[in-house]
Amino acid sequence: MGGKVSCTLGEVKQRADFIVYWGGNPAECHPRHFTKYTLMQKSKFLPRGRKDRTMVLVDIRETKSAKASDIFLQVRPGKDFELITILRALIKDQNVSDEAIADTGLTREVLDDLVQRMKSAKFGCMFFGMGLSMTRGKHMNSAALLTLAAEMNAFTKFVAMPMRGHGNVTGADVMMRWQTGYPFGITFNRGYPRYNPGEFSTVDVLVRGDCDAAFIIGADPGGTMPQPAIDHLKRIPTIVLDPHVTHTSKLARVHITTAPQGIAAPGTAYRMDEVPLPLKPPLKSPYPTDEYVVRRINEAIMAKPFWLPDGSQPQMLTAQV
Amino acid sequence: MIRITGGRVYDPANGINGEVRDLCMDGGSFVESVEGGRTIDATGMIVFPGGVDVHTHVAGGAINFARAMTPEDHRRTQAFIRTKTRRSGLGGMAPTTFATGYLYAGMGWTTVNEAAVPVLSARHTHEELADIPIVDKTTLTLMANNEIMLDQLENGEYERAKQVVAWYIWAAKSYGIKAVNPGGVAAWKWGKDAKQLTSPIEGYSKLTPGTIVTQLAQICEDLGLPHPIHLHCNNLGAPGNISTTIDTLKHLEGRRAHIAHCQYHAYGGDDWDTMCSETAQLADYFNAHPGITTDAGAVLFGDTVTITADGPWQHLLYKLTGRKWGNLDVENETSCGIVPYTYRPSNLVNAVQWASGLELLLLIQDPWQVFLSTDHPNGGCFWRYPEIIKLLMCADFRQECLKQLPDKIKGKIRLAEIDREYTLYEIATSMSAGPARALGMPKKGNLGIGSDADVVIYEEDEDVERMFGHPRYVLKGGEVVIEDGEIRETPEGREFLIKPACDPGIDDFMRPLFEECYTMSFENYPVELERIEHAEFADCLGSTRS
Amino acid sequence: MPVSFHLKRQPEVPLEAEVLSPDRICQLSNEEIRSLTVYHGKRQLPLGEFFDVEGERSNELEIHGNLAKVRWIGRAMSQGSVTVHGGVGMHLGAYMSGGQIEIHGDASDWIGAEMKNGLIRVHGNAGGQIGAAYRGARAGMKNGTIIVDGSAGLEVGMRMRRGTIVLGGPARDFTGLQMLGGTIVLLAGAEIRTGAWMKRGTIISLKPLTMMPTFTPATDYSPTFVNLYSKHLSLFGVQLPYAAADGRYRRYAGDSSVPGKGEILVWQPNV
Repeated sequence: MGGKVSCTLGEVKQRADFIVYWGGNPAECHPRHFTKYTLMQKSKFLPRGRKDRTMVLVDIRETKSAKASDIFLQVRPGKDFELITILRALIKDQNVSDEAIADTGLTREVLDDLVQRMKSAKFGCMFFGMGLSMTRGKHMNSAALLTLAAEMNAFTKFVAMPMRGHGNVTGADVMMRWQTGYPFGITFNRGYPRYNPGEFSTVDVLVRGDCDAAFIIGADPGGTMPQPAIDHLKRIPTIVLDPHVTHTSKLARVHITTAPQGIAAPGTAYRMDEVPLPLKPPLKSPYPTDEYVVRRINEAIMAKPFWLPDGSQPQMLTAQV
Repeated sequence: MIRITGGRVYDPANGINGEVRDLCMDGGSFVESVEGGRTIDATGMIVFPGGVDVHTHVAGGAINFARAMTPEDHRRTQAFIRTKTRRSGLGGMAPTTFATGYLYAGMGWTTVNEAAVPVLSARHTHEELADIPIVDKTTLTLMANNEIMLDQLENGEYERAKQVVAWYIWAAKSYGIKAVNPGGVAAWKWGKDAKQLTSPIEGYSKLTPGTIVTQLAQICEDLGLPHPIHLHCNNLGAPGNISTTIDTLKHLEGRRAHIAHCQYHAYGGDDWDTMCSETAQLADYFNAHPGITTDAGAVLFGDTVTITADGPWQHLLYKLTGRKWGNLDVENETSCGIVPYTYRPSNLVNAVQWASGLELLLLIQDPWQVFLSTDHPNGGCFWRYPEIIKLLMCADFRQECLKQLPDKIKGKIRLAEIDREYTLYEIATSMSAGPARALGMPKKGNLGIGSDADVVIYEEDEDVERMFGHPRYVLKGGEVVIEDGEIRETPEGREFLIKPACDPGIDDFMRPLFEECYTMSFENYPVELERIEHAEFADCLGSTRS
Repeated sequence: MPVSFHLKRQPEVPLEAEVLSPDRICQLSNEEIRSLTVYHGKRQLPLGEFFDVEGERSNELEIHGNLAKVRWIGRAMSQGSVTVHGGVGMHLGAYMSGGQIEIHGDASDWIGAEMKNGLIRVHGNAGGQIGAAYRGARAGMKNGTIIVDGSAGLEVGMRMRRGTIVLGGPARDFTGLQMLGGTIVLLAGAEIRTGAWMKRGTIISLKPLTMMPTFTPATDYSPTFVNLYSKHLSLFGVQLPYAAADGRYRRYAGDSSVPGKGEILVWQPNV
């Protein structure tokens, strides 16, 4: 069934002699990625640094990152899933027709060469960006690349991981998992966590108009979500915690200005590879931290009577809905 | 202040075997007597020290990865509903943090040892542990594949290696060290494994797994760690690995050690078809060497998720099962792999594993040496311990269970020939007093004056599984946390840690090496002591706290 | 006499009403039915708050109104029937093991998810993940029949193991994704990535499909099982062509990336 085979960035720095960026433009979006983790670093295993590494960029257009790459593969828009699936077949020596390959915008020679390089790498790593994970096919595109990486381990060491966007997405994901078992797309309406992305994920809930209030922290959906979702945020009471004026704060009923994380508020951030990093704020802010505000809100809620009568619920359910 | 009266007390740490005694507690500890306060009438009931899990995986990057990978199990498992004072959570194969506390306490376990913490993500592990209510915790740092440390051993720099280990323990705010597949995980970083104790490890010229085992055990001794080396041997799960295990034990000779989940290391045969139990050989070794302890790592039939720092083994398991596979290699330190798995009685390999775990618990004579564990969640979930207790206490039930195994199992296991039945005293030793002593926690698993007032009270029941699964009362730190199957209080647990003596110059030695292979700043790497909620220091042996 | 329900209060947020199932209703008096608990967001309210209820003690349910926000109707039902005049929300008939559901209107996502048996008939359009496995589960529907007259969304029949799904209108992407067995019939074709990563099972399409690159055309033929299938489906008013005089099926095998032994049959009418 595939899975997720990953590592921390230090492993990439130390060992990866074959690096693929798929649907991402690190040169412009993650400018320190090449120098800190992937391409430029020398290590005891890769003493010549950049010279000991091969970098492949797969994207629909020639971005600035292409200049940094050894091999640039221009995939036809919307054909990423097909291309990865072809690669899954090719690494297993399954037959794929020339026309099918040509349909992705690439040639058999190029893919044969790629497969050969992947198999002869000592340590391969694939990073994927929103060009893969947020285009048609979405989570299945990510699943495809993760599965390809997992299957490559039959031949050599291979890992894959997503390039995350701004904000501490990974931290939220990690923390939700330990407290609820699920990374996102969770409802608590029955008093315990339930999960269904597409049903309970924020964007879907907003687009369908399934919620009657919104509390937003560390995100600006007003700037990124589709119009129906934004329209619903305007309809309902929306509360925003943010250090800045944002698209969302402008449409919210309440905007509480908070201290910026890492600059004036301490805590832990989780890096894209789930390594926890302490935030040590260099500045002081006149504004309260997010944590302080949330605690105060929680205290106020706790002071109100619980919405269910005492003892009306069992402590534990053996069968969920 | 609480007085428990009239119960039959089993307190192996003090040699008390079923005597009717009163227990008094005040301020979290047992005291001679109390005036006033609540009295719990335990007449006709059985009183045990709270359970101690010597080897479990309940917090940190690996189990959290497993949680993400198994939503299908979360959906079908038990759910804890939030109340005004209690958080919600899910049980199952990889329980959420709050549920972990409720489930452990719910069956009378009050101390757990999280057995595998990479230093790089120790901050994460501690954050999770802070969200596990009720139980007290310790953590072990993964060390046997740490490349900076291995480089010292490769170069024969024993003293330096010792300093490095001490530095890491304190950086992780940990309680001791865990060695997983020494050298094998380092080799896995190249897709390889280390199966022979005396062959050099991939990427090294001299260093062998055997050297790591011996020297690391010595380092634990020299640093005076309260818990000795906690060792997951090489070649886990493989047919015929008994020779590796015995060889490893010989490398440890004369030193204290705890061998983790020994069930997975006690197989004969040459391949999956001929795999059989070699527990007798391993048990004999333990019986002749009272200085070493082990936990069973018993297997129970049913669904679970396997998580281990043993990356190569997990890749093999993924290929064998065709199920999901998660892997996370941690720079310089370790790896972890996750594969959901179903143990089936009809599967010959699984049947051998099931029998082997029980055989070890029964063939190792001294319950002070072999402890109840499933290597949660690998062999089964911790909340299924009462099933194992029943299997240990009821030989008839064992015979009944043996009938569901395939006929071909004959000759591969010895469980059918064993008629030993654990007594309550032996159970109390194996689930509490023994593991507490092995962990070097004198105030745990002990009902004597001055010890921590962690008590579990059972209503006597012919159905042993029901009795141990549903204690009448559980007290943690002198507070009633479970009563009549209901969670009453959810106090926060403490975390035990040590600060081994360390050469102050080691920082300067570590910094350049660190900067070469890590991707975070040296200053940010150690977990700050303020990050540990309710930290409690334990003393190293033969030294005063520095 | 069926028990009939008329929606009288439109829920503002999703209403979780798995109690609207013959198994839950069949033994209950009218009053007991009205006092069954439904979840309006986090609020627990009696069913009677949202529905007028007539009748009692029956395993036939008739529901009227726009139920687009009402979820889990017929969850895990094993018997009887549910007829809805109006649209329904997500998870219709999920986990069901018997009985029938008929919707005169549109349905949403996850209908018949992980169902074990029974029949679901939707006369309007449906959403995605029909008969699918919930996230992370190894297998979707194990048996039973789902017929949708209209269109369908993404991931229809994802990881289904057995059973039949028939779609009258077009489906979107990833129809039959990671299919393990069973049959999907597409009377009006599908968008892209049909049969992606399928292991086993059969997808029959009467309209040309954009094939995944990892499917290989094998033969053009008139398989006899289509004949049998057609007879079975004609009970539901679904016509499948099979006569050699009218055309043949082109058989594609795949998905070779798995590698799988699934098949996609695309009807090639004689011109």
